[in-house]
Amino acid sequence: MTELPLLFGPGDALMGVVTRPPEDRVLPVACVLYNMGATYRAGPRRINVKIAREMAKLGVTSIRFDLSGLGDSAPPTDPKGFMAQSVLDLQAAMDLLEARLGIHRFIVIGFCSGAVNGLTVADADPRVIGLLMFDGFSFPTRRVTMERNLHRLLALPFNAAVRDKTARWALRKLGAKGPQIFEFDAPDVSPDRYREVVSRLLARGTAVLALYSATLQVHDRGRDQLAGVGDPALLQHLDYRFSPALDHTLTTVQSQRSFLHLLGEWVQQVAQPSAARLPEPPARAEPDRTARGAVKNGMEGALPN
Amino acid sequence: MTPMLFGPPERQLMGLFHPAEHKEGQPRLAVLLCPPLGQEQIRTQRLFRVLADRLTRSGIDAFRFDYYGTGDSGGDEEEGEFEGWQRDIAAAHAQLQQLCGGTVRTVWLGARLGASLAALAAHAAPHGPARMVLWDPVVNGAAYLDELRAAHVDAIEQSYCIPERDLRRRLAQDPDAFTDDLIGFAASPLLRHQLRALSAQRLPLAPLDDTTVLADPGDGPVVHWVDGQRSRELPVQLSPFQHPLIWTSDPHPNNAMVPAEVLQRLQAELRE
Repeated sequence: MTELPLLFGPGDALMGVVTRPPEDRVLPVACVLYNMGATYRAGPRRINVKIAREMAKLGVTSIRFDLSGLGDSAPPTDPKGFMAQSVLDLQAAMDLLEARLGIHRFIVIGFCSGAVNGLTVADADPRVIGLLMFDGFSFPTRRVTMERNLHRLLALPFNAAVRDKTARWALRKLGAKGPQIFEFDAPDVSPDRYREVVSRLLARGTAVLALYSATLQVHDRGRDQLAGVGDPALLQHLDYRFSPALDHTLTTVQSQRSFLHLLGEWVQQVAQPSAARLPEPPARAEPDRTARGAVKNGMEGALPN
Repeated sequence: MTPMLFGPPERQLMGLFHPAEHKEGQPRLAVLLCPPLGQEQIRTQRLFRVLADRLTRSGIDAFRFDYYGTGDSGGDEEEGEFEGWQRDIAAAHAQLQQLCGGTVRTVWLGARLGASLAALAAHAAPHGPARMVLWDPVVNGAAYLDELRAAHVDAIEQSYCIPERDLRRRLAQDPDAFTDDLIGFAASPLLRHQLRALSAQRLPLAPLDDTTVLADPGDGPVVHWVDGQRSRELPVQLSPFQHPLIWTSDPHPNNAMVPAEVLQRLQAELRE
């Protein structure tokens, strides 16, 4: 395994690290890892570094990088709005690996709000053959919300931590100041929009995994977090998983191991589809390098091959 | 900013060099930023990035790096331990000197455990720092370990919809509980041993031109430690500093990533 930190994108504004597997087992697929919220490219609990190295063991290249204005990446000189810029940044990362390593297929891994960046770039760019959205979009129905609240209510007399969380929640509702505890904030996309984009991705052959943690719920009867999308036929084609071992920021080492194991299995499925399913490299327009920027001159040969 | 890998091939470290915007006639000064570890390192990455940018505008070269087994550097967390991390600081110092084209007056800024490691590393670093600024140094490793494992339980309780019931009981009854997984960062038995052994008595300062300790004047162990170093007739002073940054938290609306007062104060302390 080799790792190389580098600057890329327009004006070398983006900072990233490319991780390459040993030369004898390189698959023609790469993972794209980026910020969760405002946390820098290493990710919460350094999870992106751990993912990159786990992927390298499986023969998968990766790039982890900071979106414009986050971590070590410079802000854009010509701001286009956060989402539009994120798509350009993600495409710049793919351009880099495509130009330097000849990789044409990418798996985008979006944590929390990163899921919306991932969904948007996957929709915009057919090079994305896999999309993982971890605790991304949540469209629970009233039944799902009531079940969760009932579980909490039943735990209240026996679980001091739940009482404490409930008290803090109540205080916040009453407008109390003070350090705010973690509260899941789902990306703001309508169920209709979600259904529309996911349908396109699935029709295109892009593998979509919607993975949910025990931060959102205790049990899942099957696609609970997407129950509000209202298209059971579509959802049957979507890989939906709930893991009670995981939490939103992978707070424990055990939670991280579970995540890495699950991710590794899924990435292998996506990266090595059966011959019958293997799609041709996606046809697409030449990248708009004036918008996304050329890969830094003089970098030829700089990436580990 | 120039990213790079440095250090021996078997121990590659991530470095980020921020070259100064030099001013005519201004004596050259460089700052080596020794970050905290674990969640505290993730928490302060952006703060140190912004600080480094500000320093370069003041004509100061700055170098950031990740210890082995942390951040973007090579290695797993389980490989992290004090001696290796002290060597990493020395390697980063040597790298900074090389990047500046020779021996340059250098200040080390260390935060939390990074400050303690810097204090230890300064004894052995060839052509080491002229000065150190130590921000909230850890002088009682056992108490620090307790703080981290309590923060670990707190983080779990906040994150899971319905957390396990007996986390607090285990925290209170078993002093070893949650010491091998500190807010998602694995700690080896050796590191836990080293943390427990870290004390004011085992943290002597090196005789530099000057050492400034930034800490809350209500932080008894640090105040006591500074008094002890002063009694050795070392040029060290405690500079009172209270700030809103919650070291072990994730950034959130009431706990800014880059608190203005911290940025302002660190810049002021590092200018000469």
